[in-house]
Amino acid sequence: MATEARPRPRAQPRPRPTAGRAALSVLLVLGALVCLMPFLYLIATSLKSAAETITRASPFPFLPDFWPSVPRWSNYAEAWTRASFSLYFRNSLITAAVTAGGVVAASSLAAYAFAKIRFAGSRALLSIFVATLIIPESVYLVPNFIIVTRLGWYDTLAGLSVPFMGSAFSIFLLRQFFAQIPAELLESARIDGAGHLRSLFSIVMPLSGAPLFTLAFLAFVGSWNSLQWPLVATRTPRWRPLTVGLTTFISDAGPENQLIMAGALIAIAPVIIFYLVAQKQFTEAIARSGIKG
Amino acid sequence: MDSARHGEPRRRTRARIPAARARDALAAWLFVTPSGILIAVFGIFPLFFTIYVSLFKWRLTPGAFLGLGNFAELFGTGGLPLIGLGAAIVAAALSILLLGRDGLPAGVRNAGGLTLGILSAAALAASLPAVAAQGDKEVFDSLRVTVWYALLTVPVQLAVGLSIALLLTRKFRGRQVFRVIYLLPYVAPTVATAAIFQLLFSLRPDSLANQVAAALGSQPLQWLQEPKGVLAPLFGAPPPGLGVVPAYWMEWVRGPSLALVSIIFYSWWVFVGYYALIYINGLSAIPRQLFEAAEVDGAGKLRTFFSITLPLLSPTTYFLTLLGVIGTFKAFTHLYVLRSAAAGGTTDSISIEVFFTFFRKARLGYASAISIVLFLTVLGLTLIQQRTLERRVTYGD
Repeated sequence: MATEARPRPRAQPRPRPTAGRAALSVLLVLGALVCLMPFLYLIATSLKSAAETITRASPFPFLPDFWPSVPRWSNYAEAWTRASFSLYFRNSLITAAVTAGGVVAASSLAAYAFAKIRFAGSRALLSIFVATLIIPESVYLVPNFIIVTRLGWYDTLAGLSVPFMGSAFSIFLLRQFFAQIPAELLESARIDGAGHLRSLFSIVMPLSGAPLFTLAFLAFVGSWNSLQWPLVATRTPRWRPLTVGLTTFISDAGPENQLIMAGALIAIAPVIIFYLVAQKQFTEAIARSGIKG
Repeated sequence: MDSARHGEPRRRTRARIPAARARDALAAWLFVTPSGILIAVFGIFPLFFTIYVSLFKWRLTPGAFLGLGNFAELFGTGGLPLIGLGAAIVAAALSILLLGRDGLPAGVRNAGGLTLGILSAAALAASLPAVAAQGDKEVFDSLRVTVWYALLTVPVQLAVGLSIALLLTRKFRGRQVFRVIYLLPYVAPTVATAAIFQLLFSLRPDSLANQVAAALGSQPLQWLQEPKGVLAPLFGAPPPGLGVVPAYWMEWVRGPSLALVSIIFYSWWVFVGYYALIYINGLSAIPRQLFEAAEVDGAGKLRTFFSITLPLLSPTTYFLTLLGVIGTFKAFTHLYVLRSAAAGGTTDSISIEVFFTFFRKARLGYASAISIVLFLTVLGLTLIQQRTLERRVTYGD
């Protein structure tokens, strides 16, 4: 079902290279360069010396002055220690993993109930859940800050992760998928004496690898990239994530652009590497989250 | 798309005995409980709680009960402007209701809806300046920032995203490489990419933005630090002694600040690839036979695009528009990283305004009040889009 679009019939003769076709290719390449250029600038600047960020500051990658004369790899080590990235990195990793785990566990259970068990009030309940999706995050900032503080979760891992574990979006997405699993499969398991929990773990979830990956992935990246909530919900570096560390570093580093860029590269690298390795699942995850049903 | 409905529980063949049904219901409620509690505590209760908070002077701890005092600070207390604003909202709501009614003849419906729409716009044009003058200027400025931001990001991203999607669904070698590259900006963490743009759009004469400007024959510009509206040079200084209403709309006409425009460039860079990806998905759902049939019928490329591709993509376009507009009101991270003191608040959208009212000024009650107004605005916009755009959406079944 995920086949590629073929707007033009395949049996056509080989397309002739025309002027229009060439222009389109040029456009595509130009667009790709625009997408890549800031990343090249990031790499080049992160390897410069402080002086070179001023003397060799040409903004176009095809000019030699865009690049450092000698790459200074030590910038990364310096940014890493100066911004205490080891701590922030670890914090981000744990927070994102805990959030993703919570989302997958809670959403799988609820999605199973909505998809596979008939119970009074299920439709109404699901509609209420889904209705929360249109509420902008800003609305939650103040009340959730007060709630989390009252729960004693201010500046803790729980405060950073638990509020995001109840995900109406994930429940909705999983329910669509679970509903397509044939009822006969579950029926036979039940005849063999399996309860709902066993059915969920041994039949439904193993059949739903792709959507579960999608959800875990989206929850992980959402947590990894979040800035607003960690800014208000943390006070000390104890659980502060990489995003907050990087913004503080940006304002504290002052004019030392090469260190800021080294720090930014450290924050970008794991995501990009993961993206390039798993780009198929990655694009599918994003596309799936975008298209309803 | 939804042929696989056979898994629905209602197709059970055996009638279940009552005890088993009760056990099922119990299991279902137990399964729903974890998510239910989480969503109730952090997703539903906060809505009511924030209304409660908005009625107080609430620093870090609750203070005096103000009633609607926070809202009075936001909108001012002058009766006439508020009545005008209320009338504008009521007229808009009636117009939308009327346009959504199917029982009426189309002529009556459209004429009535249009009249009410115009009335609403007129009431808004006359009352908004007065409300902004008597209320919180910062909040109304942030509203303008938000509107400019939405107007200059969403349509451009739709158009460019669709164009790229059309190019990337052609078959050619290395297509997958391009798809990966175009999505890179969206995938990379916002804090980090915004930090890059901070340097690319810095005021230094050798920054990328200024080099491009120089190539176009311009002096070095201030970019992210420039508070002046980009259209201001066309209009010059406002004449002294201008009335409240024209003076207010002059501010709109002067356009978004160059600082905001720089941020809008960033938004294009990030989101165009994402829009393209979603459009590629939409395109792949269009049955190939339709294009073949069009070709057999002798339809040209343009004709095929406007009478097949575009209509059949309308669910995708509708979805992206809705997402884009809601996203505008949510946008935070890049606005936070790219804002500068020199830009004088001309890039502070309404979500940034809520954040600083809470985070810097520690005015929790007032921040709640602003966020409630924000919520109602988003709700209203969503309803308007549903009623006006969704009617034009063709679902290809």
